[in-house]
Parts: sequence; C-alpha cells; structure tokens
Amino acid sequence: MKNKTTRFLISSLIGVALLCVCVFSFFAVHMSNQSARTINEVGTLYMSSMSQQTSMHFESIISLQLEQLRTLTNTITSDEVHRDRALQEALVEGARARDFSYLAFYGSDGTLEMLCGAQLTVTDPEPFLSSLRGEERKVAIGTNPQGEKVILLGMPSPHEPTPEHNCAALVAGLPVSYISDNLSLEENSERAYSFIIRRDGSFVIRSNDAYRNNYFERVRVLYEDVNGITAEEYLKELDEAMTEGRDYANEFTMEGERYHLYCTHLPYSEWFLITFLPYGSMDTIVTGFSREWGGMTVFSGIIILTALMLVFYKYYGLTRQQLRELEEARASEEAARKDAEHANRAKSEFLSNMSHDIRTPMNAIVGMTAIATANIDDQQQVKNCLKKITLSSKHLLGLINDVLDMSKIESGRMTLNMDQVSLREVVDSIVSICQPQVKAKHQHFDVFIHDISTENVLCDSVRLNQVMLNLLSNAIKFTPEEGKIHMALFEESSPKGEDFVRIQIQVKDNGIGMSKEFMRHIFDSFAREDSARVHRTEGTGLGMAITKFIVVDAMGGDIQVDSTQGKGSEFRVTLDLEKADVMEEDMILPNWNMLVVDDDRQLCETTASALHSIGVNAEWTLDGESAVEMVVKRHQRQDGYHIILLDWKLPGMDGIATARRIREALGDDPVPILLISAYDWGEIEHSARDAGITGFISKPLFKSTLFNSLRQFTGSLTEEEEEEAAQGERGRDLTGRRILLAEDNELNWEIASELLSEEGLVLDWAENGQICVEMLNQSPPGYYDAVLMDIRMPVMGGYEATQVIRTLDRPDRDLPIIAMTADAFAEDVKRSLDCGMNAHVAKPIDVREVMRLLEKFIK
Amino acid sequence: MTLKECYAALGGNYDDVLGRLPERLVQKFVLKFLNDGSYDLLCRSLEAGDRGEAFRAAHTIKGVCANLGFDALLESSEKLTEALRDGAPPQPGEEELIRRVGEDYRRTVQAIQAYQGALGA
Repeated sequence: MKNKTTRFLISSLIGVALLCVCVFSFFAVHMSNQSARTINEVGTLYMSSMSQQTSMHFESIISLQLEQLRTLTNTITSDEVHRDRALQEALVEGARARDFSYLAFYGSDGTLEMLCGAQLTVTDPEPFLSSLRGEERKVAIGTNPQGEKVILLGMPSPHEPTPEHNCAALVAGLPVSYISDNLSLEENSERAYSFIIRRDGSFVIRSNDAYRNNYFERVRVLYEDVNGITAEEYLKELDEAMTEGRDYANEFTMEGERYHLYCTHLPYSEWFLITFLPYGSMDTIVTGFSREWGGMTVFSGIIILTALMLVFYKYYGLTRQQLRELEEARASEEAARKDAEHANRAKSEFLSNMSHDIRTPMNAIVGMTAIATANIDDQQQVKNCLKKITLSSKHLLGLINDVLDMSKIESGRMTLNMDQVSLREVVDSIVSICQPQVKAKHQHFDVFIHDISTENVLCDSVRLNQVMLNLLSNAIKFTPEEGKIHMALFEESSPKGEDFVRIQIQVKDNGIGMSKEFMRHIFDSFAREDSARVHRTEGTGLGMAITKFIVVDAMGGDIQVDSTQGKGSEFRVTLDLEKADVMEEDMILPNWNMLVVDDDRQLCETTASALHSIGVNAEWTLDGESAVEMVVKRHQRQDGYHIILLDWKLPGMDGIATARRIREALGDDPVPILLISAYDWGEIEHSARDAGITGFISKPLFKSTLFNSLRQFTGSLTEEEEEEAAQGERGRDLTGRRILLAEDNELNWEIASELLSEEGLVLDWAENGQICVEMLNQSPPGYYDAVLMDIRMPVMGGYEATQVIRTLDRPDRDLPIIAMTADAFAEDVKRSLDCGMNAHVAKPIDVREVMRLLEKFIK
Repeated sequence: MTLKECYAALGGNYDDVLGRLPERLVQKFVLKFLNDGSYDLLCRSLEAGDRGEAFRAAHTIKGVCANLGFDALLESSEKLTEALRDGAPPQPGEEELIRRVGEDYRRTVQAIQAYQGALGA
C-alpha cells in the first residue's frame, strides 16, 4: 500500500517534471527561432524603409539638380547655340550659379563638348546615351582627367538636333562627394552604411573601407556565408533581382559578424543602392528581449516545477501521515481486539472456574444432605451436616453476590447509598465476622486504631464493609495457619477540606504474597493467580475488582498494594470521607485512674490518649508482671485504680493469669478488670470469669468503644437516655382511631383485631384487596386513619389494592398503608414500598412494632 | 393438659407467643385454629393443580402459624410456600414438602384436639 502510493507519487512527479521541462524547452526554442525570424523581419522592414528613404532622398536631389539643369536648358532660346558665343557664356554663367562643376553638350554620337570644366569621359555611355536620346532624363557616372568620378546629369535638349550641331542633351557634372554628402551614406557608419553600384557590380559611390572597385569581387572574397547559401548563389540571386528591378534582402556573415543587406534600384539611373546593417545592433535589442523572454520562461518553468515539487512533497507527506494514521488506527484496533479477546478468554476461564467453585460447595451441600438424610436419627451427625451445609451455602451465596456485584459494576448500575456510618461499628462488625475464620486457621489477628477522632462519617456502610471484608478475607485466605494478620485504621486531615477526613485502612499479612506479574492484574475482573497453591483456594477472583471499583471509582479513593511472593501482602486504602453532620456525643467519664496493659506500645499510647480525652487519667504498661506491681503499689497508697484494662495475649503471663494475680493481691477489692480482645471470647469466658475478669472489651478501641464499655461502671444512665426511655413508654394516644385491615384469613384477622383493639383502635375487616378498596371508597374522606394490608389475598392482592388506593380520586388517598405479611425478604419490603406503601411489618404481628409505625404515620 | 404442654406437643414456642399475646387470647386462637380452612384449601388447590391458589393457602398457613407460634408447621409451610412461590414449576422433593406439611398439620390438630378434650374434661 505504502510503497505503491509512494511509487506512484514519485513516478508521476518525474513525469510531470519532464513534461514541464519539455514544454518549456519547446517554448524557449520556439521563441528563440521566432525572435531570429523577427529580427530578420524587423531588419528587412527597417532596411527597406531606410533604403526607400535614401532612394527618395537620392531622387529628390537628382530631380532638383535635373530641374536646375532644365531651367538652364530653357535658356537655350536658339538652335544656334553652338554658334552663339554669348549664349554659351550665359549657359556657363548659369551652370556656375547652380554649382555645376561641369557643363557640356552631349552629342548624339556620344561626344562631350565641354562648355566648362575639364574634359570628362562617360564610364558607361550606352544606356546613358540611349536614355537621353529617348528624351529621358538620366544620371550617369563619368571620370575627369584626374580619374576622379563625376556624377553626370543628362537633360535631353529641347531642340531637334541639326546636322551641324548634333546635340542630344545638355550634361552637367557634379562631384561624387556632393551626392554622397547629401545622402549622408556613411553618416551612420556604426549602425548602417550604404553604397551605390552599377549592374556590373562596380561602385558608383562606395564606402570608405570598400577598397575594391567592384562589389561582386568584394563579395566573393569577403563574404563567408550568406544565410546558408554560397556567395555565388547569392550574387546570382542579386543579379536576378537587379534585372527584374525588384528589391532584394538577405543576411550574410562577414569577418565573423552578421549583417543585413538590402538592395534597391535608384531612379534616374542604372544604379543600385546597397545598404548594410550589422546584425549586432538590432540583434542586441531583440536578443536581449529574447533572452529575457527565455529567462522568464526558464524562471517560470522553475517556479512551476518548484510549486509542483512542493505540492507533491506536501501531498506525499499527507499521504504518509494518512498511512501512519491508518497504521495507528489499525494497531489500536488490533490492541482493542486483543483486549476484547483477552477479556473474553478471562470470562470463559472465569466461567469454568466459577462452575468449579460453585460445584464444590454445591457438592458439599448435596453430599451433606444425603449423609444427614441417611443418619436422620443421629442428631449429632445431622447437626454436623447442617453446619457444613450452612457454611457451604453461605460461601455459595458469597460467590453469587460477587458475580451480581460485578455485573452491576459492569453495567454501571452500582451506586453508593450514602448514609451516616460509624467507623467503630463498621470495624466492630468486620472483626466479629472475621473472628471465626481467623480462629479456625489459628492465625494471629490484630486490629489497630490510630487516633480516630471522627468516628461518624458519610459513606455507604454496606460497601465500606465489603471493602474491608474483601481485604481481610483475602488476607485470611492467603495466610497459612499461625500466620499474622494486621489491620489498622489511621486518620489524617483531608486535602478536600475541613468537612472531610482522610481515613487510611491498612491490611497486612505474612501470607503467600503475590508475584509481580500478578500484582499488575490484581484489580482486573476474573483474575486469580494461576498457580497450584491458589487453585486450592476458592473464590471468584472478583473480590479485588469489586473492591477497587468501590474504592476508586465509586468513592473516589485510592488503593495501593505491596507484596512479595512468600513474604506477604499489604493493602492500603485511602478514602476522603465527609464528616457526618452530627454532634458527637458528649463523652465524659469520671476522673478515674485507669491502667492499660498491652504488649503493643502504640496501642497503649493511643488508648491512654483516648481515655484522657474522655476525662480519664490513664497509665499503661507493656506486660503482666509490671502491671501487678503497679496495681499493688497504688493499692498500698490507698489510691487504687478504678478500672484495669488487660490484653489477653501478653508475653509471659497472659491476661487471665495477670487478672488472677491481681485479684489475689487485692483481696476483696471489687475493682473491675476488663479483658481487651480482638477475638471472640466465648471460649475463654469461663476461665476468665473464674480468674476474676469482670467483663470484656473488644478491639478496636475507638473512643466510643471505650466510653460505651466503661460507662456502665459510672452506675447511672445519662439524663437524655432516661428521657428517651420515658418517652418510649408513654407513646402517642391513638385511642379511637379507625383502621381498615385487609386480611383474607379469619384467624389472622381476629388476632390482629384483638391485639389492636386492646390498644384502643377501632378495626374494620376487609376480606380481600377488592373489598378493602370498596370499603375505603364508600367511606367519607378521613374516616379511616390507616390501612393494614396483607399482601397475599384472593381476588386482589395487597400490592394491587395499594396501587388502586393511591390513584383514587379522594383527598385521603395518601393515608398510611402498612404491609403486614409473612414475607419478610428484602425484596418484599422493597416491593411494598415501591407500590406506595409506607412501611412493612412481618408476621407474627408484633403489636409494639405495629403501634410504633401507626404512631409514626398517622397524622 | 395445659396450653404449654399442647405447644410442646405440636412443636410450638409457647414463651414466644406469650411475649406477644395474653394467655387468654392464645387459648382462644389456638382453639380457633381447628376451624381454619387454609389447609383444606391447600389440599384442594394442589389436587386441582392450581399452584397459585396453593401458594396463597400455604402462605396463609405460614402467616397464621407465625402469629400463633406454631414453629414446626411454620417451618414446613414456609418451605412449601417458597417451593410454590411465583407459580414455580414442580420440583423433585415437593411431594416430600407437602407430606411434611400434612404431617405437621395433623400433629398440630391432634395436639389442639387433645388440649380441647382436656379442657372439656
């Protein structure tokens, strides 16, 4: 594609360039020829007009002189002139006056009878004489005795020749210089010069440098080339033209220079005027013009070629760019296709993994069910089976939830449900969820809270839970037995402003870790490290993709991962959460002295500072032995601790042993000793109580955790809570309110009726939805204060009835409707609300709940 | 036979129901249970192949049992309700569920009848 286009471009460029060169060369050559021809034509034109002018000038000079001669002739009044001396004198006088150097009678026999001047000889008397005899004026050339040429003007005599005086004409002589001066034949010698010759080529008047007597001879010797023909041929042509009496033009080269030549016949004579013009003078102009023209042609040719080159170059560049873009587009398309293929493959792999993952718990469920059925009477066995079935079902449910979440994410339907969330509650619940798994794998699990001052934030608690749970369950899953899992929460100031707080969640383990290769894909959907040891671990491979989506895309946070294969992994989640807009409880405890015992110095410090902030004077120590010492010392000073917090897992002497020692030392002092633990204390509770432990406090130790756990030892509830409790009991008086109860079952109706009547309500029974709608519609507006609606009824169900009621044309159509049904699934609750019901209560009927809702919704 | 013994016999949770209802009412409703037609409706609907109506009937039994704290019948009727929900096609094991509901129902009715007899006596 690329080569083809380039080749085409280059060849067409060369073709066009060649065409340009050809066309312009043709024009240049043509113009050069044209200019040569033009020079010729212009030269010829110029020369002909110049020759004509010279010729006319010659004619006018000659005719003037002939006229002079004629007037002289007219003075010859008598035929006897040759005898009349006086007349001859007068004639000579007249000739002198008219500047004639010579004057003679010209006899019919050709003799010249001189009247004045020296004897002259006519050079070529024949044509001269015959013309004069024919009464024709004529000019001829003659020579004087000195050999000088003289122009002879012949005027036929007005008188008939007589025998004694055979006179044909009167002839006057003028020096040649007179003519040549008057004609100024050589005046312009540099440009052009002329001379006059006779038919035979002999010069009448010649130019300065013409040193030969005959022009023809001169031609033969000097002319190198006459426009492509030889000198002889030229002479022949010239001779022919002379004979025919027409003008003749040509060019020739003489002594290396080109000349124009023009030959024309002169009147009153047998003479010819030949004019030369050196080619150079005119050529310079025309050649200059022609050169300019040629230059222009070449210049414009170059410009056009350059423009063409430019256009081609640009076009070439464009083509290349297009090609490149095309290439890139194809490459990106290819990449996209590969991605799609990869995603596809990942999905099918995922499907096959999933079916494996689903099959495993399903097999367990089916198998356990079979075992339980076979041993239906062995209660222990059945219980064991049921426990395993429950576990497998939960696992299965988890898988399905993950898949559903992922599909929600992929279709963009996952949205956050922002609500006020207590970080303490979230972490508490996470810890309690994870504890059984941690315990089952004998892992060391620690939760750590660093100075969390803002416990209540705005967040989606379900999703936050999910994130932490995913991270923790991964850590548990990929950490072998006896491994360590550490979870920590930090609080920092948020760059988003004062209304926000930055929470960092850190989950660290010393498990199997991840390869670098895998870390790149850990947040991809359907990813799971492909190695044998991971194959044994179940999971969808969706957890991290979901986690990342929740943290990064939905919550705008950040997730980082650090891992070394075989050493463990660390995940850090950073979230900027808005502080919840609630007044934090005013948490103040009495000015107690407290002792915190934990082997983690940081925990001791943060717990002590948290206790200080709620008004408690706290001291801390790192091991059991020193704790016992401190307690005993204080006791002896009669300034004992009010409460002691003991970590369960301490180096050396553990929490329980320490407690036992303290009790022994203190005797019957009832100081409360609380055991701090991130673990489920169910198993140790008995031995702990035996050792004198008063109670338990669960990690993580939020400020509120401490406050709520320790408050019980203040001995009284706060005023606010008392008030709240009192209000709860009082309730609102709904006596006499009328309730319409839609319920198809008589027994259920009676139960509800009995229970609610005792609360002072008046109840009417509608046996199905249809009847319910009718009864409501026939009652005066405001007659019923609320409707309690069963969902599953014949004729018309509760959902439909609610929808009909909500569209009735009654002012009380939006009265409270509360669903009351044996269905308690979340979907049922949601559907009830979607249908326009105000609330949902599940059977069995709990009068307090129903009353609470009625109180809430009845105006 | 006391009401408590009756509850033990029919697999119910007497303490739970007393948490919600006064003993006087519990006695009254337990006896009324004998007249409840939901089980008959369930049997008829199943025979007629009307699974929608059967679902509603099972559902009603479930509701009544929830109210009265008849946990054994509640559990079996609840399972049957879910099996019949949304007109789901018959599944293997459904017969077993129906049989279980019948068994629990008869056990409940027998216990109540025994209690009724004891009252009369």
